[in-house]
Amino acid sequence: MVNRLRQTFKSLSIPVLAVILGLIVSSFFVLMAGTDPAQTYQRMFCEGFGSKGCQTFSDLLVVQVETEDGGVSSVFAPFYGVGGHRMAVVLERATLLILTALSATVAFKAGLFSIGMDGQFVLGAITVAFFGYWLPTQVYMLAGVSDPGAAPQALLSVMHVLIPLVCIGLAMAVGAVYSWIAGYLKVKLNVNELISTIILNAIAVQIVNYLVRYPLRSDFNSTARTQRIDDTAWLIPFNRGLFQDVEWFSGARLGIGIIIAILVAVLIWFFLWRSTAGYEQRMAGGSRRFARFGGIPSERAALRAMLLSGALSGLAGALAILGIERRVIDGYATSGFGFDGVLVAILARESVPGIILVAMFFAGLQQGATNLQFGDLPRQLGGIIIAFIILFSSMENFFRDLITRIQTRLRPRKTPYPNEAGAP
Amino acid sequence: MPLAVDMRHIRKFFPSSSVLACDDVDFAVEQGEVHALVGENGAGKTTLMNILYGLVAPDAGQIFVHEKLSHIAHPNDAIKLGIGMVHQHFKLVPSFTIAQNILLGIEPNQAGFINNNDEADIVRRLSESFGLPVNPNARVADVSVGMQQRVEILKTLQRNAQILILDEPTAVLTPQEVRELYTVIRKLADDGRTVILITHKLLEVKEAADRVSIMRRGRMVATHSVADVTVREMANLMVGREVILRVDKSPATPGDVVLKADNLLVAGAGGMPAVFGVSLEVRAGEILGIAGVSGNGQTELVEAITGLRPVEGGTISLLGQDITHASVRKRREIGLAHVPEDRMEVGLNLKTNLDENVVVTHYQDDPYSKRGILRLPPIRKLAQQIVDAFQVKSARVGEEIKTLSGGNLQKVVLGRELYGNPRLLVVNQPTRGLDVGSIEFVHRTLIEERDSGAAILLVSVELDEILSLSDRIAVMFRGRIMDVLDAEAANEQDIGVLMAGGSLETEPAAAQKV
Ligand SMILES: Nc1ncnc2c1ncn2[C@@H]1O[C@H](COP(=O)(O)OP(=O)(O)O)[C@@H](O)[C@H]1O
Ligand SMILES: [Mg+2]
Repeated sequence: MVNRLRQTFKSLSIPVLAVILGLIVSSFFVLMAGTDPAQTYQRMFCEGFGSKGCQTFSDLLVVQVETEDGGVSSVFAPFYGVGGHRMAVVLERATLLILTALSATVAFKAGLFSIGMDGQFVLGAITVAFFGYWLPTQVYMLAGVSDPGAAPQALLSVMHVLIPLVCIGLAMAVGAVYSWIAGYLKVKLNVNELISTIILNAIAVQIVNYLVRYPLRSDFNSTARTQRIDDTAWLIPFNRGLFQDVEWFSGARLGIGIIIAILVAVLIWFFLWRSTAGYEQRMAGGSRRFARFGGIPSERAALRAMLLSGALSGLAGALAILGIERRVIDGYATSGFGFDGVLVAILARESVPGIILVAMFFAGLQQGATNLQFGDLPRQLGGIIIAFIILFSSMENFFRDLITRIQTRLRPRKTPYPNEAGAP
Repeated sequence: MPLAVDMRHIRKFFPSSSVLACDDVDFAVEQGEVHALVGENGAGKTTLMNILYGLVAPDAGQIFVHEKLSHIAHPNDAIKLGIGMVHQHFKLVPSFTIAQNILLGIEPNQAGFINNNDEADIVRRLSESFGLPVNPNARVADVSVGMQQRVEILKTLQRNAQILILDEPTAVLTPQEVRELYTVIRKLADDGRTVILITHKLLEVKEAADRVSIMRRGRMVATHSVADVTVREMANLMVGREVILRVDKSPATPGDVVLKADNLLVAGAGGMPAVFGVSLEVRAGEILGIAGVSGNGQTELVEAITGLRPVEGGTISLLGQDITHASVRKRREIGLAHVPEDRMEVGLNLKTNLDENVVVTHYQDDPYSKRGILRLPPIRKLAQQIVDAFQVKSARVGEEIKTLSGGNLQKVVLGRELYGNPRLLVVNQPTRGLDVGSIEFVHRTLIEERDSGAAILLVSVELDEILSLSDRIAVMFRGRIMDVLDAEAANEQDIGVLMAGGSLETEPAAAQKV
């Protein structure tokens, strides 16, 4: 147990170091932009993770609030929801990032460097955007309801459960099939999956752009967009439904999706580490030849991994539309949730609990960085800061070496020869 | 005699692996001698020599070359001092000719243009002056390993090396090529050059060296005149305890045929045929050894038998069942076990822990999984059993295995493969890169397994290993089995002839030729 803790600590120390170094190095650019780094970062973190009125780093933890009688009292900031909390928006974005990162992880663990999450995500999104509108209209027609507002309550309730389920299932299937193509090309023709998924992503973007601009275009709005999905397909966000009265949620379209994402994360963890199928995939990923040697059907394992990976990205696309956007707007195809998921997976070192943490952190950073532009800072600055943090996070070996070197300096020299103790 | 090399108090610690590879090492070599440097794998021999050659920077210590304190920060410094090194893994450009390789970087040129004829001439003169014949215009990719090594040696001589370091030069050679190499080494020493010969084969030391230094776990434990020590004493110094060099075994009592291969045809890398019509039989309770220089189809043969490579023609049967095209899993169910050549990539998955490595052959069976869900307690128990039964030191259930030594890794593989009493055990290079203690353990295990009735197919490029373990010996050359000898009657010379493609009937003189 102590060992576990030490390991967790060790694995956390590297990302934290990376973030600090990233911030230090980007200070240079912040200074060039003519502002004070400390203040900029405070603003960035407040915009990313803070509550209303967050001004300084300490406000992230405890915020001073004016009470009704005019006094001032300290409140634990993460729970202070008046005017909406930024963390709700973070969770809204993280919902999608968790799923696309899981999608990447499933592929990576099987030794497949698939980065097809973007393509699978947008195809999943367009699938539910279509079926979320079309299916209910078909049902109303069959039931002979001309005005959905006047539909029998029982029918609406059933639809409210079934329509999202069917939509999600279809999106997952579309994502899975799209991902399977790259898997099949890899297994049968040894086509590099990195290249094939990049190409498939580009194709998917074009398909979605076309669909949004022509066959599925709903109106003559200046930006092409699909029909809004029916209310029965909508996964109503907390601020409009369940937690209407909780102000914490008020600024975000956060909903049941986050719960689905976390449940799925738990399931994926179990699948990867506790099922024979997950075991097969991981062994094939560790060493394809080892898997074959042990009698593991490694081609099947690879294809299964690609199917699952695609389904997860498809699910992310589905939740993005059903729970957040409710329609696909021209340009959404390049929203980049898939690729950000790849980054999250890499930064989290493909650990499932790590993904949840990193997805939230990443979402918050992005949000904070984007909102910097509402001050007088150039929009690109946020991007630079994030890029440096990612760069340093990927320098894992560098940090690990640094840490061991420091440790060996500090430790008194014992005989470090490994076989010494075990020798007869 | 003046000292050619004098290394004092050399220390080198590798932080990345936390290994103290050289611990206050003193190493002195006299001018004009052949000095053997021996030690188990990982003793630090290569590291020490890399320090001398400027490839690795020592943490502490001084180096005197020809009795002058020298600072060697880069191989270029070493070359200037007259030091040449032939690495364990050759560093030649396969698509270049021999002459181009030897003169790489120091090409004769006129106004920047290279003249190929000049190159060939220079190399021809060089090779004649040292009595090391090569064909300057042959491509390196097309010549034998022994020839490639000769090219490496010439390369250092062309750069005027007075001190030659050869890192495990004999590992890849046939017995005849080894003999030739010794002649060359001796001649270089007679010319006044100094040769440092790294090896872990102690018989070679006796044969080729004047003095010997023995390293153990980063320390220099002894330096002797070769005439003053026995092979046994060297072995004990190397390992730090008594070792049994000979394998004790009783005569085999072969039973029924377990493995039968008939007229096998197997393609190698790039689709070129690698195994041509090999037929063999292995019976229960016997060890069939396959000798041969590496790259003569042994790997492909093993992979075909174990199901890792498709068979193009012929049949394989295991316990009477046709397995020519059966899956690996099916073969394993019938009773196949396999200790592969490459334990890091094929035999084990170093990215995961001990438990997942030992269960790979059983994960679908009760009690290790039920309805597709792994059951951890039985898996842990299995891992613990293997660790206990095979004394895998420093391996712990549930922990990573990538830090284990080669010997311990091989024990994990053996433990897993022997679990459940296989009927056929196919082992390929079972002791490659292992230290003497582990070799002893692996050999004893194989004999025990034979005595309990398993059929064993042993493939090895170590002739000693084949000779001491096998009951029958098949020799492979260019994808064919040249002959099958009874181990009792076989000797090193005959096998050497067969390994080089000769035949015992038509060329009886070949054995004496070298
Ligand atoms: N570049 C390196 N980085 C880390 N460890 C190394 C490196 N080179 C060698 N070692 C370690 O140093 C020890 C001695 O290695 P080496 O000198 O290659 O031994 P030998 O040649 O006697 O077999 C081994 O434990 C090896 O793992
Ligand atoms: Mg070595």
